Amino acid sequence: MNGIHDMGGMQGLGTIGYQASEPMFQEPWEGRVFALIRAMPVGSLRPYIERIPAAEYLRMSYYERWYTAFLTRLLEQGIVTHAEVERGHADPAAGKATPAITPAVARELLFKTPHEEQDIALTPRFYVGERVRGRNIHPTTHTRMPRYTRGRTGVVERMRGVFHLPDREHGAGEPTPQHVYLIRFPARALWGDDAPAHDALYIDMWEDYLEPA
Amino acid sequence: MSQRHADHAHDHTNVPAEPALRVKALESLLVDKGLVDPAALDVLVDTYENKVGPRHGAQVVARAWVDPAYKQRLLADGTAAIAELGFSGGQGEKLTVVENTPAVHNVIVCTLCSCYPWPVLGLPPTWYKSSAYRSRTVMDPRGVLRELGLDLPDDVEVRVWDSNAASRYLVLPERPSGTASLSEADLARLVTRDAMIGVAKVPAPREGGGA
Repeated sequence: MNGIHDMGGMQGLGTIGYQASEPMFQEPWEGRVFALIRAMPVGSLRPYIERIPAAEYLRMSYYERWYTAFLTRLLEQGIVTHAEVERGHADPAAGKATPAITPAVARELLFKTPHEEQDIALTPRFYVGERVRGRNIHPTTHTRMPRYTRGRTGVVERMRGVFHLPDREHGAGEPTPQHVYLIRFPARALWGDDAPAHDALYIDMWEDYLEPA
Repeated sequence: MSQRHADHAHDHTNVPAEPALRVKALESLLVDKGLVDPAALDVLVDTYENKVGPRHGAQVVARAWVDPAYKQRLLADGTAAIAELGFSGGQGEKLTVVENTPAVHNVIVCTLCSCYPWPVLGLPPTWYKSSAYRSRTVMDPRGVLRELGLDLPDDVEVRVWDSNAASRYLVLPERPSGTASLSEADLARLVTRDAMIGVAKVPAPREGGGA
């Protein structure tokens, strides 16, 4: 969706606030939010983050967004109820589960690499070196196609493998595996003639985001 | 980090507004429901606070600087070459290493979220997650780099990598001059987080660097 999270190329969003070093978590609760989300795999929270209204999104810190998305997801899935959240205690009538992530499993998680690439043989629609254009599409739900690539022309730099289209992952129909391509967009194709002539931007694009140029 | 019921007991019906209290309340609830084990949460926090971080990436970079065959493998298949040094895990399925040279400078960003190569750099710093860094780096990388202290000549090609899909990027910085006599371990100590994001160069050692 064309939400506030799709920030590439926007202007006026404040300062970077660079710090040479900082604690991994600014406050202990941030670490707890991070750990809660890792310990309860409830599926991707990104669509929930992207649904946070823009003004609130900008006001919230990074971990406040994750907390909000996580809680929304838990409520929507019926894992917790509003009444329980308000009380901070389980409904006595609700059954007690057994935690999926034990300390031993949590230790293993450190080295466990996700495997999203699909071992499916599909004929690629585009080839390395081909000129392609970002399609002029405006999905209303989650997508990994930033606005700034739409209608812009680049070149296929590399094949990335077959992955499910993230746009369809969240309850919107069957999985749609397809090739992902690394695309090189000249800076001038994206930002006009004021951009330096030989600078470039590289981004992965699912097949559905592209058309021949 | 075990008893956390007392702190929010004073609250009546509304969810406490302060994040720390709200998070404590949610954790208590999920523990109460048997959905999470607080000891597992402690392990997860400790992992990301103390066990992963830019030191891993620095070891990868130093190895690439001293071992041309390793560097070749690293640039061809980052995930596999990084796993050779024992580094893997979340956000690490498709690690792509991009090499800085006198002619090309790479910088990484995630405009849609804050994706970052956890197995080699740990969790991202706050500024990397800032709206300003996410929005500006794709459109005006030279301006962002200048603001962070790196002024690149016009004839250097700047390549921005937007981490929007499964790929996560690590910049292989240029080896500074004056380091010919340094050991791999000493070289790793020179490598900074910022150089591996691409917002800085690795500084040359001030002394004891040989040539």
